[in-house]
Amino acid sequence: MEPLALLLTATGMDNPEDRARTVAAAKAGDLQAFELLLRQHERLVLATALRLLGNLDDAQDAAQEVFLKLHRNLAKVQLSGNLTAWLYRVTVNVCHDHHRRRPETTAIDEAGQLPGTAADPHQELADAERKHALDLSLRRLSERERTALVLRDLEGLSTAEVAAALGSTEATVRSQISKARVKMKKFVDHYFRRRS
Amino acid sequence: MNCPEWEERIALYGGGDLPPNEMAETDRHLAQCAPCREFAQGVNWSLAIVRSAHSEPIPPAAFTALRARVLEQLARERRPPWRLAWIVPLVAAAVLTVTLVLPRRVAPIRTAVTPPPAPLFEPVAPATDEPITPKRPPRARRRPKPRAPAEPLMVKLITDDPDVVIYWIPN
Repeated sequence: MEPLALLLTATGMDNPEDRARTVAAAKAGDLQAFELLLRQHERLVLATALRLLGNLDDAQDAAQEVFLKLHRNLAKVQLSGNLTAWLYRVTVNVCHDHHRRRPETTAIDEAGQLPGTAADPHQELADAERKHALDLSLRRLSERERTALVLRDLEGLSTAEVAAALGSTEATVRSQISKARVKMKKFVDHYFRRRS
Repeated sequence: MNCPEWEERIALYGGGDLPPNEMAETDRHLAQCAPCREFAQGVNWSLAIVRSAHSEPIPPAAFTALRARVLEQLARERRPPWRLAWIVPLVAAAVLTVTLVLPRRVAPIRTAVTPPPAPLFEPVAPATDEPITPKRPPRARRRPKPRAPAEPLMVKLITDDPDVVIYWIPN
């Protein structure tokens, strides 16, 4: 492994300067530096794609496309300096394209497919219920509402950051988020009341 | 809930997305409206549930597979120039073969071809004002001189590796 990559692996690359150096190294053709960027941001991209698309296979396809786009556009990313915002924006666009290519019914067919991680069977069941509720409630939202809610409430972006990722205004995003929260609240109420 | 006009504002209030003045206004409403307080609690509860579901880890194998797919694709995109490098000497050898070997083989066959028989009647040209130029007598075809037996042809292929040189002697 290159010294730069070793150093950044050890430090966790929290420093923006480190990140800029890694982006520069990756742009110069250092695949290990690019792998480091990939490791740093894979959770962000894959988790967002999973919530937007509803199943892991499609999310992996989308995430792969996002990282290949990142590799081709390292120069732009280096200039903009905000890799995270760029990745959210591209992930959302790739997932929207994916939706357009595939009908909604097949996109979220395998909702709740992630295997449980809890040792306690009761806990595992509860986790599975929550995941199922999450996936089903996301299905009931429009594409824009779902994206706004995923970025704001699940990924924790600010309203301004969501607006930037969606190419929209903060007022529009707030409206989408509020509608999405109301729909989600009603669905979650209904879901757990029916099961209790 | 008795106040549907407050629904969306309360939903924003739950996530802390209201501007300060609307926040205070919503606070005052919630203080005096029990159904809206219940609605606000429901929003917070559903948000907590979906957040906890989302925060559960994705299996590490999914990340490993993603990384492998991306890096494999990048490696594949880089490969073509090197993968096609072997074509260069092959094309060179093919060009050499065509230019050096084939003419020798084809030449004797050409000499055996006889000219087509002369027509019995000369076609009559239409009357024109243009002066008629006399026809040249047909040239006698030269017979190729018998060649001395050619030396065996040898093609030398130089590879990227200086220790490897390929000699090819066709029959």
